[in-house]
Amino acid sequence: MTGRVIVITSGKGGVGKTTTSANIGTALAKSGFKVVLIDTDLGLRNLDLLLGLENRIVYTIVDVIEERCKLKQALVKDKKNPNLQLLAAAQTRDKTAVNAEQLKEICDILKEENDFVLVDCPAGIEQGFQNAVAGASEAIVVTTPEMSAIRDADRIIGLLATKEEITSVKLLLNRVRPNLIKSNEMMSVDDVVGILEIPLVGIIPEDTGIITSTNKGEPIVNDENALAGKAYRNVAERILGEEVPFLDLDEPKGFMAKIKNAIAKLKVKV
Amino acid sequence: MSLFSDLYNTISKFFHSQDVQEDASKSVATNRLKLVLMQDRTNLTPRILEQMRSELIDLLSRYVELDKELLDLNFEQEGDQVALMLSIPVIRAKDEEEIDAAVKEHEEMLKIALSKKEDEENKQDEETKEEENQEGEVPPDSETSDITENTESAETTEEKTEEEKAEAEKTDAIAKELCDIPKIIKKKEKKEISAPEEITNANNNPFKSDPSDVESII
Repeated sequence: MTGRVIVITSGKGGVGKTTTSANIGTALAKSGFKVVLIDTDLGLRNLDLLLGLENRIVYTIVDVIEERCKLKQALVKDKKNPNLQLLAAAQTRDKTAVNAEQLKEICDILKEENDFVLVDCPAGIEQGFQNAVAGASEAIVVTTPEMSAIRDADRIIGLLATKEEITSVKLLLNRVRPNLIKSNEMMSVDDVVGILEIPLVGIIPEDTGIITSTNKGEPIVNDENALAGKAYRNVAERILGEEVPFLDLDEPKGFMAKIKNAIAKLKVKV
Repeated sequence: MSLFSDLYNTISKFFHSQDVQEDASKSVATNRLKLVLMQDRTNLTPRILEQMRSELIDLLSRYVELDKELLDLNFEQEGDQVALMLSIPVIRAKDEEEIDAAVKEHEEMLKIALSKKEDEENKQDEETKEEENQEGEVPPDSETSDITENTESAETTEEKTEEEKAEAEKTDAIAKELCDIPKIIKKKEKKEISAPEEITNANNNPFKSDPSDVESII
């Protein structure tokens, strides 16, 4: 079996790389695929927190590389889903503790026994980024509809284009706020896609549920009712090659929004 | 009916007042972003773009009469390809005579620019030559101190011309070149005539060494 190695990257920090990694990984595992999540953010690890696995980590990726343990020993199984495993980053070391070849080697080994290897990339374009992309053949670029995030994403897309091994680069637009887009306060999905010019793999609405899910250490895809959870499940299905329509986020909710909508329709008629 | 539509407008303004206000914020962001990404992707700064624009105007206006104000130079991206889009509103095409005249005029200007540069260099050469001659009379022991003098005087002449151009940055580079000139001449002490040739050859392409000069002359 040769699985797919997908790096989740963004350039800018705080746009939701780790949240995206945790949720896509969980969603794919729920669909019955064997998934390994690798946290490559050495010194600033967080993927363990988002999965609620922080207390189970014994060995890290640096321990594997420095041969203090076997690769299998360092993989932590998810609480709910044994299909999902985490290879945690070392919290006490920095990005220089690992190099690109070592990470590629780990990815190559892991993809032999798993359907998906998802690499959570650190922010920035330096060593950490170079390490994270080394073993990947696909990339998901996470951005938000903000200027600084889009500019950084553009830089990352440019850098990914120079990597021959990476054959697919897709965009995940996170923290979309439909009401702000409607009132023209925020760039729309079309605006962002038009600027970055790479295919879209997901649109994730801003969801306060993300905060509570992080608090609990449980990815939001496990919450059947959350809109962001549904959006992430759709992303996983698109990764699996299914054509899933993007969620209609424009549907107005609440009484005032309905009135506004009705008036807008009236205006068209007039 | 007009009363009706007025009423409707008032109501819709009430509901949409925010939209009108914020419309700017989004499109401002999009436009700013597009501009900054264009610069990021191409490594072209606004200054270089402006220089390119003005040189293109100079070139094209030899052949057509164009509306310089409305000339639009921009980058567009389709997929991996970045294209330089130049939109030029043409007021009228020039006839052959006009074009010939304009091209001739341009060539004349180039010649003037060239000879100016040569003159400047010849002046410097002569000065260095004179000093070189003086050096010949001085006993060989003090040679080293003379070289430093030569260098200093060469620098000051160059600095004067540079002041006129107000290009302090380039002074250093040219001064460094000039530092080498006395050495070249020294090597060819007995073939003094060939020495200046070598120097002019090295420096007589004003367009390669200093494109802004051409711009200011044109």
